[in-house]
Amino acid sequence: MIRILIWILLAILLLPTPLMPIEPLVERSVYLTVEDGDRLIGGLTEENFRVSENGESRDFRLEEPELPVMITLLVEHSRMAAWYWDDITQSLSSFVRSAPDGHWYSLVTYAQTIEVASDFTRNRAEILDAWNRLGQPMWREVNTYDAIYETAEKLQLIGGRHVVVLIGSGIDTFSRRTLGEAQRKVEATGATIFGIGAGSALRGRLEMYLGTNARMELLRAQAFLQMLADKTGGQAFFPRFVTAFPNVMRSVLLMVGHQYRLIYDSQPRLDRPFQVLEVEAFVIEDDRRKDFTVRVRDGWREE
Amino acid sequence: MPYQCLAILLSLLLAVQPVAGLASTRPDLTLTQALGKSYEELFDLAPGLGFTQSHIDAHRKHLERARDTCIDEYKDAAKSYNRQLRDAQAELRRRTARLNDEERHELHCRIQNLRKMEQQAELLANHAIPTAFDNKLAKLELVEKWPAELRKIEAEIAAEKHYERRYGDVRDIGLRNIRSGQQDDIKRGHEAVQQMKMMGMMPPEMDNPAVVQYVNDLSQKIAAASDLQVPLQVTILNSKEINAFALPGGYIFIQRGLLEAAETEAQLAGVIAHEIAHMTGRHGHRLMRRATIAGILYQAAQIAALIFTGGVAGIGTYYALQYGFYGLGLVLSLDLLGVSRDFEREADQLGVQYAWNAGIDPRGFTEFFSLMASRFGYVAGLSWFRTHPPFYDRMVESQREMMFLPPKDSLVRTTTAFEEMKRALEDVTKKAEADEKQRPSLLSPVEDCPEPDLPRYKPGDPIENLCPAILEAP
Repeated sequence: MIRILIWILLAILLLPTPLMPIEPLVERSVYLTVEDGDRLIGGLTEENFRVSENGESRDFRLEEPELPVMITLLVEHSRMAAWYWDDITQSLSSFVRSAPDGHWYSLVTYAQTIEVASDFTRNRAEILDAWNRLGQPMWREVNTYDAIYETAEKLQLIGGRHVVVLIGSGIDTFSRRTLGEAQRKVEATGATIFGIGAGSALRGRLEMYLGTNARMELLRAQAFLQMLADKTGGQAFFPRFVTAFPNVMRSVLLMVGHQYRLIYDSQPRLDRPFQVLEVEAFVIEDDRRKDFTVRVRDGWREE
Repeated sequence: MPYQCLAILLSLLLAVQPVAGLASTRPDLTLTQALGKSYEELFDLAPGLGFTQSHIDAHRKHLERARDTCIDEYKDAAKSYNRQLRDAQAELRRRTARLNDEERHELHCRIQNLRKMEQQAELLANHAIPTAFDNKLAKLELVEKWPAELRKIEAEIAAEKHYERRYGDVRDIGLRNIRSGQQDDIKRGHEAVQQMKMMGMMPPEMDNPAVVQYVNDLSQKIAAASDLQVPLQVTILNSKEINAFALPGGYIFIQRGLLEAAETEAQLAGVIAHEIAHMTGRHGHRLMRRATIAGILYQAAQIAALIFTGGVAGIGTYYALQYGFYGLGLVLSLDLLGVSRDFEREADQLGVQYAWNAGIDPRGFTEFFSLMASRFGYVAGLSWFRTHPPFYDRMVESQREMMFLPPKDSLVRTTTAFEEMKRALEDVTKKAEADEKQRPSLLSPVEDCPEPDLPRYKPGDPIENLCPAILEAP
């Protein structure tokens, strides 16, 4: 009798998956970039990828990326930004200058609240025009968590391929939402987020004079932008020179242009709200596997 | 007793005089009706209307009161929508975990529609209503002052004094020197164009050959009849804004919205002639020089592109100029806008002359102004009011210049080529509109919502529909 019980227990332990509550198969689309050092790798095929969800291998296929891309520039427009205003204007103007025609661009600004300064447009000039129209920032508060939460909420309602370029310090002063809420919202949306750390140049110059609290605040801000990028398959940049911003913005556009679209059969587990996704990219050279770095969202959250 | 009765009767007559007075010496036209006419019609009608000064003053006060009442009404409406919006958002927050899909969609739609209604009310209160009343007041000024102005002009013509006015030598167009050194602007203009293209400030060019060919031919015809001494480079931009702009050195940019808005060749030609006049007057160069003297560091392209062009990208650039170009950390002196207004006047005068010299009816220019003011006033045409000289002055001065020009027999108002261009333009417009329909929106991302109950008003509609107070007797 005991022996039978042990066999049953062993069977449960060895075959856990079929007994876990799972949902039927759904197709999920993810965007990712593949890098080798500082080089973007293009031209890979399905044989060069492996996809796993919650630790289990998944079937997938590569498809043509959706076009046009909807790119939202989420830009800090607070009185606090006066300290790093050049970083913001440089980023914005160089982005508009380098951005290719054909995509949809929108400008959302944030301080106390978010404002849609320019709805989606193909005319990039309207973005600069809307920015110039804003005039002096009114609020000192920088509610970055609210801004990312509300922007993600808006984007969730619009289908298609989304990219958010957040240009701001990452500092949050008075948001209604917590960092955790902002993170969960981002995990639930499909947008790729790039963080452009405005104020990084100033921070580089003043680092030695900062007190512990200020350092902690800035580290937290930086970590927030990094988290957004890591969670969504984007990248966060913290340029130490104002002159670096144009190159950074070009890099963002280059990455968007080199994204792969991968569609995999997802089978989410109902016992966990977050489904972990892992993608490997590699090539076989001389019978040896060479792995690449993959920038892809780290999973999904069902709301 | 009979005297007392007579006195009471006279007092009563005096008391009701402003109301009765709305009926002028022409009983078929009240002042309210007169202000519903176009500017062109009023130039013809005003000398025969004969309203008294007290009628006009009373009506002006009445219009100002009606405007303030109407603006307050829509501002209150905007506040009320905002309160409802906040309540709806609070409800969404409170119930978010318990809402089913249908309830959530209903609440999303309610929030989206309240946002639209708030924005619409604000747009009406801040732009549409003030602009419509600006128009009414400008027309009232025309009724008040034009008859005297007309007599003055006729006296000047009779005394042949009009030949002494600035640029009165219209028979020498093409041989006279408005401002020397136009050739020096070519390099600067070319650089400005390159810079604007590089900055992404230039909308895409239109590629419809029929439209491009027609506009180019018309522009070259006007340039040949002007004082322009540099080759004219015409570019048509595929953008819905009703605008055209000139850069120094012979670069003219015409936007699709302008071609769509123009109803006759004369109207389109009037605007093109105006822009060519900016080039012959070297206004970009002169403005930049003054900007340098004023100690304001400003890039050539921005000076040339923004100040007297209407802005490549739109009215926002005008706000930027008026409230400081914050994006570049620069603040532009408002004095410079005064300078640009002088240049506008000069371009108006020369533009009228060039259209006339090209054999095109110069009234097209003022007609287009009138069209901008009444039909497109509060959206795209806002800049015309904000940075250009007062509307009434501009209309009157253009009218005066037209009266001073020697009569010509066959001035063209429109042509079959223009009509063909308009037909070719329909395809471009349809394509652009189809593209616009596909445009995603952050402002109204929720789909399948019932249409909100917005006030039915579009630019050009009678303002009385929005502000019935205007119909009450003053």
